[in-house]
Order: sequence, then structure tokens, then C-alpha cells
Amino acid sequence: MHEWALAEAVVATVEKIRRENGGRPVLAVRLRFGELQNIEMEAFREGLRASLGGLQYGPEVFLFLNEPAAFRCRACRHEWPLAGVPGIGEEEREAIHFLPESAHVYLRCPGCGSPDFELSAGRGVSIESVDLEDD
Amino acid sequence: MIDPRPAVIHQRLAPVRRILAFASAKGGVGKSVCSVLSALALRDRGRRVGLLDLDFQGASAHLLLGAELRFPEEEGGIRPLRVRGSLDFMSFAAFSRERAVPLRGREVSEALLELLAVTVWDPLDFLVVDMPPGIGDELLDVLRLLPGPEFVIIATPSAFALQVVERLLALLQELRLPVRGIVENMAHPGGDTAVAALAARYSLALLGSIPYLPEIEALLSSPNPLAGVLGEPMRRVARKLLGDASGEIS
Repeated sequence: MHEWALAEAVVATVEKIRRENGGRPVLAVRLRFGELQNIEMEAFREGLRASLGGLQYGPEVFLFLNEPAAFRCRACRHEWPLAGVPGIGEEEREAIHFLPESAHVYLRCPGCGSPDFELSAGRGVSIESVDLEDD
Repeated sequence: MIDPRPAVIHQRLAPVRRILAFASAKGGVGKSVCSVLSALALRDRGRRVGLLDLDFQGASAHLLLGAELRFPEEEGGIRPLRVRGSLDFMSFAAFSRERAVPLRGREVSEALLELLAVTVWDPLDFLVVDMPPGIGDELLDVLRLLPGPEFVIIATPSAFALQVVERLLALLQELRLPVRGIVENMAHPGGDTAVAALAARYSLALLGSIPYLPEIEALLSSPNPLAGVLGEPMRRVARKLLGDASGEIS
């Protein structure tokens, strides 16, 4: 599953932060999951467990938060959520799942039809915060 | 908010011995043709080769390779498509198919980061990167994210192309980045000294000259594009790339 690669990236980043802070123990990591990428959480958890092997903290320090996807048209300023966007088939969803920028290939502004929109929230996996001991 | 992807890119590319970025600031000089043919020529010399098409908006390497576009297999990430027998290949086109890819700079960078973070390459002697034209987001991201890219510059004898290509060479020289040489594409019959002169001005090797061939598309779509007239010049390019370990532009 490609969720494993993203879980591995999260652990690599947390480890980098931990090393840069004198190797202090990790207390909590808050992760945000953007709605657009539609991450399969069980696959991500599996990837996390596999990447954490041998480290001094486990999956219990990770807190998962969902972030709804929101779009803003650069042409007409219309704003809209992902929910209810028409015209996304299974193939398109899969492409966006692998590579969220595929949204610009398959989606259009519901207001004016422009492909020139920005994703203002809810793209993919990001780390909101990493709490280390004595923070 | 912290982006987790950059931290894993060096790990993803650790199985790759050399990254060759085929670049030219000028469009239409044949970067994709040269990168595809060079990848095949290196592969034919027994090297393990991958090809990464970073020209998201004008992806064409898959067309030159005759690659069937499909979603990649997932295994610890996404696996490159296996094309032409043993060439590992990744492109935005695996997701966009033959539709337009209208991306602004920030979105180009996001897509590039994502592909680099989740693509799992097998051990490779060479990862050939087909760069888009220009000196924009993709080039700056390659410099920022890829470990130790070596540049191969594509030029044609056109005076306009040469002038634009020289700007890229000057930038790479200023940044002290390794350039392995120049490939002349669409060379005039009987030869021309303009590309060789540019290479000489920058103390670079002229890796090879590919003649102007109106039938290039037919040659590329044949089962073995290096069997005919393209074979000798591309074998020369591959030999030089394999033999060259020289450093930066002097």
C-alpha cells in the first residue's frame, strides 16, 4: 500500500525532529489527514507500526485528525468543499488518492468551469505538532 | 504544519547510484527523445536503469516508450511501471492519462514531492530524469530535493536554442553543479560546429550527435529503436556517460 510510504515519511520526520532536539522522548504526534487524498487508515496504521519497529515509542503517541478538503477558484473566487463534487468516478478518485494534484486534471470550478483553483485545505498527510518530553 | 515527505526522499533514492537530469532551458530540442534513447542505450549496456518523466504538463516519455498507462502497483509505496522489458518508469501521466495537466508552480512542487516520496525504486545504476523546458519549479525542486543530480544538456544547432541553453549552462556553472556533457540533437547533415563550440566554451564533452531524422517517431516506436541509425550515436552517448566521472564545469 502506498500509505506505507507516507507513514514511513512521518516517522522519518519525527525521528529527525527528535534527533535535532537531543533525542528527547516523543510524547505525542498530531497528524492531519486531508480528505482529498482519502488515506486508508488501517493501511497507514500498519505502515506506522512497521516503520516504528525498534524505536522507543509506539503507535499510541500518534493522534489522527481529519481535515475536510476545500477549494478556492482563482478565476471567480468561488469556494467549495469536496463533498458533493459531481463527475468524479472511481478511476479519478484513485488517481487523486495516489497523486492529489490529479484533482486539477479531473475537477473544475463548479462556479465557472475553470481548472485554475487552489486547494485551500485538506490535501494529504501533514504533521501538526510533535511534542517531546520537557517541551 | 510540517510536511513529512522531504525527510524520506533521500531514503527512497538511496538504491540509485547516479541521477542524470536531461535538461535544456529551450523547449522542442528533444529532451524526451534523448533521455528515452539514453536510458535504453544504458540499459542495453547491462545497466539497471529507471526513467522519471518530470515534464508533468507535457509528459511524452510514455508515448516514446509505447508504455501502456496504468496505475502503479502498490508495495511499500508505488512501484514504477516496467516498460520495454526491464526499464523502470514513472510519470504523472500514469495518473492523468492523456488529459491536460493544468498546474501552477506550487502544485507542480507538491506533485513532484509526492512522487519522490512514495515511489519505491529498485536498485538502479542510473535514474534518467526527463526534465521539462525552462528554469522553473521542476529544475529548482530537483536541485533542492534530489541527492547529487548530474546534468546532461540537450541542444540543437539552432542559434536561438543555443542562446537559451547557454543561460542554463551559465546558471549551472554559477551553482557549481556537475554537467556531464552536451548531446546535440537534430544535427545538420555534414555536421555543424555550433554545439561543439558551446561545449568547448564551457569545457564540456560533446557526448554525441543525433542526426535530424524525419522518421524519428517511427524509429522510436519500433521494438528496438537502437537497432538502426540511432544505434551508433546513442551507444557513444552511453559509453561517455559510463566512462565519465569528471567533475564540475571548469
